[in-house]
Amino acid sequence: MSFFPSGLEAILQAVATGLLVGSTYGLMCVALGLIFGIMRLINFAQGDFLMLGMYFALAILSGLGLGAAIGSLPALILAALAAVPVFFAVGWLMHAAVLGRIGRDRPGMTEGEMHQTQLITTLGISLVLSNGGLMLFGSTPVSLNTPLASQALVLEAFKGDVMVFLNEARILAAVAALAASLGLYALLHRTDIGKKLRAAADNPLAATYMGIDVARCHRFTFGLGFGLTALAGAMVATYYPFQPYVGLDFVIVMYAGVVLGGLGSIMGSFWGGLVIGLVQQLSTLVLPMQLQGTTVFVVFLLIMLIRPQGLFGRSVERA
Amino acid sequence: MIGLRRRAFLLACGLAALPLSASANAEDLKIALIAPISGPMARQGDLMRKGAELAIEDINAAGGIKAMGGAKLSLTVEDAGDKVETAKNAAQRLVANRAGVVAGTGSWSSSLTLAVTEVTERAELPWLTLSYADQITDRGFKYVVQTVPIASALALNSMPTVLDMAQASAGKRPAKVAIISDSTAASQAFVKPLREGGFEKLGVAIVADEVFTPPLTDATAMVQKLRATRPDFLLFYSTGFPDAKLVLTKMNEFGLGKGKLPAVTVGVQLASPEMLKAVGPELLEGLIVIAPNWPSKAQEAALPGLTKRSGEPWLGQDTISTYGDIWLVKDALERAGSADPAKVMAALRATDRKDGPADYYLGDKLAFDDKGRRLGGAVGLVQWQGGEPYLIWPKDDATRAPLWPKP
Repeated sequence: MSFFPSGLEAILQAVATGLLVGSTYGLMCVALGLIFGIMRLINFAQGDFLMLGMYFALAILSGLGLGAAIGSLPALILAALAAVPVFFAVGWLMHAAVLGRIGRDRPGMTEGEMHQTQLITTLGISLVLSNGGLMLFGSTPVSLNTPLASQALVLEAFKGDVMVFLNEARILAAVAALAASLGLYALLHRTDIGKKLRAAADNPLAATYMGIDVARCHRFTFGLGFGLTALAGAMVATYYPFQPYVGLDFVIVMYAGVVLGGLGSIMGSFWGGLVIGLVQQLSTLVLPMQLQGTTVFVVFLLIMLIRPQGLFGRSVERA
Repeated sequence: MIGLRRRAFLLACGLAALPLSASANAEDLKIALIAPISGPMARQGDLMRKGAELAIEDINAAGGIKAMGGAKLSLTVEDAGDKVETAKNAAQRLVANRAGVVAGTGSWSSSLTLAVTEVTERAELPWLTLSYADQITDRGFKYVVQTVPIASALALNSMPTVLDMAQASAGKRPAKVAIISDSTAASQAFVKPLREGGFEKLGVAIVADEVFTPPLTDATAMVQKLRATRPDFLLFYSTGFPDAKLVLTKMNEFGLGKGKLPAVTVGVQLASPEMLKAVGPELLEGLIVIAPNWPSKAQEAALPGLTKRSGEPWLGQDTISTYGDIWLVKDALERAGSADPAKVMAALRATDRKDGPADYYLGDKLAFDDKGRRLGGAVGLVQWQGGEPYLIWPKDDATRAPLWPKP
């Protein structure tokens, strides 16, 4: 094999993997960006929501035995479809029972104070979820063990001299991430609910005067953010071993993606996640693997230096 | 009422303070096991305890210590926990209540063993260990023996062993290696001497050398390099099995899995039932694990019975080494004819056996040098075949033939 096909193969492989990995990161970032963009809430429990989505997929495939009964792919699709409404309901209840009640009994509380309290509350929720997970599931890493994780679609060029492997589990995850992100975009920009959510994000006071129930919008947003994060978790679980603290492996990527995309720009968060996936993969072409994480943050800092409002955000845009 | 409660409380405290012991009589000779019974290493401690309990059952059933009038053995277990401090406390508890304790074994992790032996050495309590850090027997201690090869010997001897095995099974000595290792101290300590001239001396060229910081999020770039550089085998050192799974999965996806590109890894936890559950038999097929000890042909007759009694799907290093350690203490007691610690230790150090307790360790004989390090030991290679790890090397001890792709 000459250097050219070998080098070309490495570049194409890095781009393909970067796009697949980045799409999943994109969905995680969109979910976080949605909660921040609409509610202005920094959610520390986002990684733990991801973890719950992973164990949910495990429960569907292995716990209920659907993986063996109907096959891995249909069971995974079922898990993905079920994760959104189930965790939407959990998020809705969590907001109604905990987050939405903060500041209710203190009418004089400023918005800033309320956000600080909510931020600490999400940290508490995170600790409860991760330690609860540890008690319930134990510390031993588990995985879904689907054949999709170790199978690939192979694209060939130059009479087979250049081969690009597209992991089937990652393709499924990327398709689900794209579909969910597009669905969210349509919801925000093509429906009345979306209009209300954007209005609640832009100016909560004016939205209230216009008859929009801002608290209800926030509850809906939190539920939807939780549901989308759990969907991302269920998809990541198809190829990534996990334990109750797995959220920590991804939470930095989520925040970096949201800031990179533009704080408050929900769809910009998707592009932020995609850029991180691409930078992670492309960096390995010229730099040692150990610098993969460092490269992401060097690129992140460079972009922040040039465009402080993020890649796709406008300083006044929120949603 | 208050007095009754107080008595019940004192009774409960007294019961809690009792060490975990297996049907001990006052006149029994006690053997101590200090192992992690709680915390993240509890599984390994449990496997060691099973080995110790099985050995004591078998020794007592065979008539106990004949040189001491058929004296029976009993086991005293102390929980080493997962920290140096908890291990040291366990050793201090043991020596404070050491009446009848003739020797001990433990404590799985080298860092725990280093702490435990600081205490047992001062108490002049004979101690055996399956931990393999060089430092354990580098401190001039008189009351400790390492029953498996030390870490530096493992690193230096394992690769020639792999090359010999590959040549014997495939007819061609590997000439190119790729290294994938995580950035942890244990991993780099193993790989460094090989990277810095070790492989060169063996006539093996390093064609790729990738170091990653755990946790790994994706292994595509590293496995792509394996595909591009086409090594004869992969030396893969990952301390966590989520990372190991990602690499093995990716190798399978790129058509390099199931032994097509032979992968050699380090650490018996990668040959555990937990690994099988987490990774699955398909991806593990052909993976070779370097192990300081493993059940071998010498135990072929006894192994099915032992495995059944242990309740484990198979026995690994932790169980078989601890089983062997108890038999070695029995052997030393027979030769010493006394429970005096100095005499038992002298007998342990003077061990030179090719059968009996030697059957439970790899190598051509069981003996120790003046530091208490193992003489005559051998590095074991264990390979996953059909969903179970089998010893494939040394050839004379192997229970299965190696699978290595023919060129």
